[in-house]
Amino acid sequence: MIINDVVCPFCGCLCDDLELEVEGDRILRVQNGCSLSEATFMNDTRLPAPIRRTASGWEEIPYADAIKETADILRDSDRPLLYGWSSTHGETQSVGVHIAERIGAVIDNTSTVCHGPSILAIQEVGHPGCTLGQVKNRADVIIYWGCNPIEAHPRHMSRYTTFATGFFVPDAQRERTIIVVDTRRNDSGGIADEFVQIEPGGDYAVLSALRAIVRGKESIIPKKVAGIAKEQLIRIAGICTNAKFGAIFFGLGLTMSRGKYKNVRNAIELTDELNRHTKFVISPMRGHGNVYGSNEVFTWMTGYPFAVDFARGIAFYNPGETTAVDILRRGECDAALIVASDPGAHFPRAAAEHLAKIPTVLIDPHVNATTALSRIQIPCTAAGIDAAGTAYRMDGVPIRLRKVIDRGYPDDAEILKKIYDRLNGELGP
Amino acid sequence: MNCILNTGRSVSQGVSVEHKGSEEYRSVASACLLNTVDMLVLGIEDGARVRISSPAGQVVLTARSSDGVARGEIFMTIGPYANHIISSETHGTGMPDFKNQKVDVEATDEPVLSVGELMEEIGGMRYDH
Repeated sequence: MIINDVVCPFCGCLCDDLELEVEGDRILRVQNGCSLSEATFMNDTRLPAPIRRTASGWEEIPYADAIKETADILRDSDRPLLYGWSSTHGETQSVGVHIAERIGAVIDNTSTVCHGPSILAIQEVGHPGCTLGQVKNRADVIIYWGCNPIEAHPRHMSRYTTFATGFFVPDAQRERTIIVVDTRRNDSGGIADEFVQIEPGGDYAVLSALRAIVRGKESIIPKKVAGIAKEQLIRIAGICTNAKFGAIFFGLGLTMSRGKYKNVRNAIELTDELNRHTKFVISPMRGHGNVYGSNEVFTWMTGYPFAVDFARGIAFYNPGETTAVDILRRGECDAALIVASDPGAHFPRAAAEHLAKIPTVLIDPHVNATTALSRIQIPCTAAGIDAAGTAYRMDGVPIRLRKVIDRGYPDDAEILKKIYDRLNGELGP
Repeated sequence: MNCILNTGRSVSQGVSVEHKGSEEYRSVASACLLNTVDMLVLGIEDGARVRISSPAGQVVLTARSSDGVARGEIFMTIGPYANHIISSETHGTGMPDFKNQKVDVEATDEPVLSVGELMEEIGGMRYDH
C-alpha cells in the first residue's frame, strides 16, 4: 500500500511530503526523504520487550511489572528528574508534565543541551521570526550561522532556501545569496556565495562588528575581527542591507560556544538593526523532530519552556540550577525517568555517570546508550511511525504526525498515563 | 598537543543514531577530525589512534585528516565519545561547553572502546541484542 503526505519525525524540518510503501507492519520504501529519514523509517530496530537490570545481566519483564516498578521508584524518590521528551508527540509530553507536578519533580527537555540558550535570549529581546513558507517565497538573502544544514537538516536548503523555487524568488539558485558563517569549512560552506570562517569563540565579536557597520560606524572596526577581514564584513553588511527579505538561521555554533545565549541575543539585535533598512528575520535550526513541541507544551502548561522544577509545589524555572545537566552534575536527583531521548550519549560524562548511580527508567523504542545506565527500559511506539500525535516544526507550526504501521507496541503516552494513575491512587488527593 | 574540541552533527551520525551498538555508529562517533598539518606534527597518519584528555576524562579515538578543520582544533560528531571528555560545567546556563573544550591530543596504540564499554566505564551494564 502506498501512503502519501507522510511526515518524517526525525528532525525539526518535519518534512511532510514523504511517500511510503508499506505492507503489514513493515515499511518497504521511502520516497522523497533524505538519508536520515530513510534510516528512521527503514532501519527501525526496537527493544522487543521491557527489560530490568539484574546483578548479572538483563531480564525481560511484563509491561505491568515495569510500569508498577517505575511508579514505585518515582513515588519513593525525594528529587526525581524527568528528562527527554523531544522525539515523541505532544500528548506524551503533556502527561509528563502532569506527572512532574504530581510528584514535585524537575522536568526538562533536550533543548537544555541544544537551543535552551536561544530561548534565554528570546526571553531577553524577543524573536523576530516567521514561518519557513515566508522564507521560501520571499527571502533573497539567507545566512546560515553556526549550523550545517547539509548534515543536520538535509532538506532545509532544497525545501526552503538555496534550491527552493519561491513565489517572489522563481529562480532560486540565481536570485538567492547564501552566506555561511562557521568555524569549520563544512559542506554547507562549500556551496555558499560567501563563506565566513570565524575563529572559535569569535561569534559575539563578529556580530557586534556587523551591527556597528550596519549602524554606519565602520570606521571603528579594526582590520580583522575574529579572523575575518574588515572588507568581508563590510561586504556582508552591504548584502544584508540591500536584501529585499533576509533570513538568518542559526545553530548550536552560537548556543554552545563561548558567550552562549549572549551570542544569540547579539544575533537577534543584529536582525533588529537590519530591520531599520529592510525586512530581516531570524530563527533557530531546531534539532529533534518535536523539541519545539516540548517547549510549547511545557510553556502552555507551566509557563516555562524547559528546566521546570515543581519541588516547591509551583512551577519554578532557573536555568543553570534547574537544568538537567546541572542537577545530575551536582548529584542532586535520586531517581530519573528518561523519555524519548539518550542523555547517556549526549550528556557530559559526569552527568551521565550519575544516571547509573540512581534508579533510572528509560521509556524509548530503541536500545541506546542510556539503556546501559538504566535499571528498567520500557519499549514503546515511535511517534510518526506507529503512533499519531502532534509535533511542532522548527518554525512553530504544529503538524500532525501519522501512524503508518502497527507494530504492537503501546504508545508512550499510554504507558505514562498508567504510571500517573498509579501515582495518583497511591499518593491520594 | 593542546587543541580546542568542537562537536557537531553529521549525516552518518544521524543515520546510525538509533543503532549505537553498531560498528557504523562506533566508526563515526569515535572519529577525531584533525588538520592535516597537526597530524604531521603529531607524527600520525589517517586511521591512527589518538588519546584525547581533558580534566573531565580521556578517550581513545581514530584520527582522520580534514582540511576544513583549522589548526589547533579537533572536530567530532556529538555522542558518547566526545562527551567522555567534555566538562559538565554550564556557567549558569544549563549548557556545557560542547564546542570549546580544551583538550590534549597525543598518539597512542590503545584500542577504541565500544559504546557499551564506555557506558560500563561509568557504572553501566551493556545490553547486547
